[in-house]
Amino acid sequence: MLTLALSTFRDRWRLFAGAIVAVALGVAIVQSSLLVMVATDRAPIPPGTTGRAREELQEGYAGAATLLGMTVLLSAFLTVFIVSSTFAFTVAQRRRDLALLRIVGGGRRQLVLLLLAEAVLLGLLGAALGVLAGLPAAWAQARLLIALGFLPGGFAPVWDSGVLAASFCVGIGVSLAGVLTAARRAASVRPLEALRETGGAARVMTPARWLSGLTALALTVWMVTLAQSAELLGAMMMALGISITGAIALSALSPLAVPLAGRALGVLLRAGPLGDLAQANLRDGVRRSASTAAPLIVLVALLLGLSGTLGSLALLTGEEQRRLVAGDLVVTSPGAAAADKVATMPGVAAASPELPVPMSVTVRHHEEGRSWRRTHYAGIIAIDAASYRRTHHLRLRAGSLARLHGRTIALGPGMAGEGIRLGSTVTAEIGGHRVRLKVVAALRETLENYSETFLVPRDLIPAAALAEAKTHTVVQIAPGASTTTVRAAIGAARLGKVQTIDQWADDRIAVQQRGNIGILAVLMGMAGGYAAVAVINAVLIAGTERRAEFATARVTGLTRPQVVRAALIESWAVTSIGLVLGCAVAAGALSGMLAASLHATGRPLVAVPWTLLAGITVTAYAVTGITSICATLAATRPPPVTLLSSHD
Amino acid sequence: MTITAAIAAELRDVTREYGLGNARVRALDGVSLAFPAGSWTAVMGPSGSGKSTLLHCAAGLDRVTGGRVFLAGREVTGAPDRVLTDLRRRTMGFVFQNFNLIGSLTAEQNVALPLRLARTRVARADVRAVLAAVGLGDRLRHRPRELSGGQQQRVAIARAMVTRPAVLFADEPTGALDSASARTVLALLREMVDRDGQSIAMVTHDPAAAAWADAVVFLSDGRLVDRLVRPSAREVAERLATLEAAPC
Repeated sequence: MLTLALSTFRDRWRLFAGAIVAVALGVAIVQSSLLVMVATDRAPIPPGTTGRAREELQEGYAGAATLLGMTVLLSAFLTVFIVSSTFAFTVAQRRRDLALLRIVGGGRRQLVLLLLAEAVLLGLLGAALGVLAGLPAAWAQARLLIALGFLPGGFAPVWDSGVLAASFCVGIGVSLAGVLTAARRAASVRPLEALRETGGAARVMTPARWLSGLTALALTVWMVTLAQSAELLGAMMMALGISITGAIALSALSPLAVPLAGRALGVLLRAGPLGDLAQANLRDGVRRSASTAAPLIVLVALLLGLSGTLGSLALLTGEEQRRLVAGDLVVTSPGAAAADKVATMPGVAAASPELPVPMSVTVRHHEEGRSWRRTHYAGIIAIDAASYRRTHHLRLRAGSLARLHGRTIALGPGMAGEGIRLGSTVTAEIGGHRVRLKVVAALRETLENYSETFLVPRDLIPAAALAEAKTHTVVQIAPGASTTTVRAAIGAARLGKVQTIDQWADDRIAVQQRGNIGILAVLMGMAGGYAAVAVINAVLIAGTERRAEFATARVTGLTRPQVVRAALIESWAVTSIGLVLGCAVAAGALSGMLAASLHATGRPLVAVPWTLLAGITVTAYAVTGITSICATLAATRPPPVTLLSSHD
Repeated sequence: MTITAAIAAELRDVTREYGLGNARVRALDGVSLAFPAGSWTAVMGPSGSGKSTLLHCAAGLDRVTGGRVFLAGREVTGAPDRVLTDLRRRTMGFVFQNFNLIGSLTAEQNVALPLRLARTRVARADVRAVLAAVGLGDRLRHRPRELSGGQQQRVAIARAMVTRPAVLFADEPTGALDSASARTVLALLREMVDRDGQSIAMVTHDPAAAAWADAVVFLSDGRLVDRLVRPSAREVAERLATLEAAPC
């Protein structure tokens, strides 16, 4: 079996090239992620690091670990997807060969073994390439994580030879997982098929495919209806779910969906004989069309769904921040002194400075019967309760900010879900002094990621500690005063940067989004790379598979450029279908966000990632177009007669 | 069942239908036919007469709609896949019109393949002897694409014979060959029957090929219509011509 697998491999390496690249990519990503994770685990926290810095470092490591985990999962999923579609393709293409093996005495299990052996070879080869590619990848990944701010500068991944075993296991594992369906299919090849010229063409829609496609579709439809009446968090979860199940459903059902959409496109294609031919091929070569469209559907659905959901969340967060603040301007000052002068400016009815405090708060958390102590450093602000209440539409969970005086503390939105009890005491350390503070109020959760953790009364903090605090002051303009005048006056007095509430909220969201966009960019780039490999793979395999068909077309009277053009029209039609179906899934995902935003704010706050869509569209047409032209040119190089007269 | 020992393969009242409803086609219509052991039987008939279906049913590759099929004394009607696989390994050999060699394997590897699939110990000397017997002792390491059509067909015959099958099924074995190569291949088959007592069941539409056989049976519209023993090519051609001229 191994000899046979080896020789098949040698003979048909072109068929497997895409899958090898995918496995290599997957192994490289898994290996480099593991190496970076090992390095973060071993990285010592330098002695003399302040508590605040340690908290930041740990948060960075946790963020990096989350990103790496997502990367590993996504790449494993996509690798299995590509390997399995490659093997499905090769089995369909080699039915005659497999049937021949059956006729000369091969049993079903031997055919399965043959494919498993091929998968192991593929996995080994891919893993070997991946191990090599993983070394520069680990370095690049570390640089990327440093650039995104997850890892401290100067961080370097370490080498651990234990990772080699993991890499090879992953390579062979994903290959075997990818080959399973194809192997089952190969076992059902009947020996008689070797004797028939055309062979009983394999059914594209197998029962397993129907089952998974329809289940995913039903799940998607159910979630879309559910999302219409869901709360924001539910709608978000649903949107992510819809992107995934919708992509699975439409790519599993793409052999049905593609010809159907092809018929709709037919009106456009009917322009000339080439268009006619392309449309007929589109309907006839269902498997071929589907295997090009499927990765595009997955890519577009996931990317648009994911980035649209996160973008919409950012819009909603901004809207929420705008509504929480009852003011007209926000002044960002370099210290408490400047901030305090804002209140004295003419035309200012109220000003509420929020000063970040360099202090620590140690609290006891209670959750599900467990309790533990933790010290927090970030997001602690000092406020004047009276002016804060005047300039904010407060949403309290418990207690009252009116009691925030003296040795007291309030829980900010960032601590809402952490299980800290109202009325309990916490230990704070301010400028080297320890004080015990009573929890008197708790604010409701907001959509923001890094919002305030604790609010302390301004009178508790020594003025010296606040002298250089980067302060935000919310300003309410007195009735009758002109916003423009006040704004100009504060600017002229050099009290800080003056922004309208909208500008300030947008800035605040942009900071939060930067991390999300970084994560998304990494994941999207990777998914895009995989989709490109899958699409190029499908187009190339289809091109070589169709040599005889192209030859027939040329004998019938088409010139070589016409054949190339017909194939190009066909692959662009498939590309369009893939893009449209992917967009349909993304639209389903975002419909929940639309409903939730209408529900929560009365405004349609949905961020449709148009730029991303345009980018994907242009790239997809370019990639499929160039690949199709190259493949068709290569397949039509020999004179048509030589292809038609020879068997095989 | 002593009679069956002298019969390599037998069909008893076999019917094979394809399709459903109006599209229903009866490819074989109550065919009873025995392929005697140690003898070469050719099956002839016009296109669409059911001769290929007959071969497929006799070899257990296609299921019959009615009737019974025996191979080397064993009934194969409705036999499970495991049994059929085993029969293909030990009892049957196949030769096809377009050779069907595995392109990535050398001549020697192609011939050894059935033995390896059957998990039999492969003696290189045996494989080489079989290839030498078909006149290709010097082409062991060539791949199919480096061989002429006639040579490829002889490799295919060697592959079929390496397991010493009770019956060799040949489906238009000379259909893709020029007349000189065809003669070499047919002479080789004739020698196998005369010298080793090999049983051969061959489907062909070439009267010249059929004339090499011991007996020729004629099939028309799924029914056996005639049988000639040791006919000349001219007799076969004339018989075939009357069949094809018959009103449909």
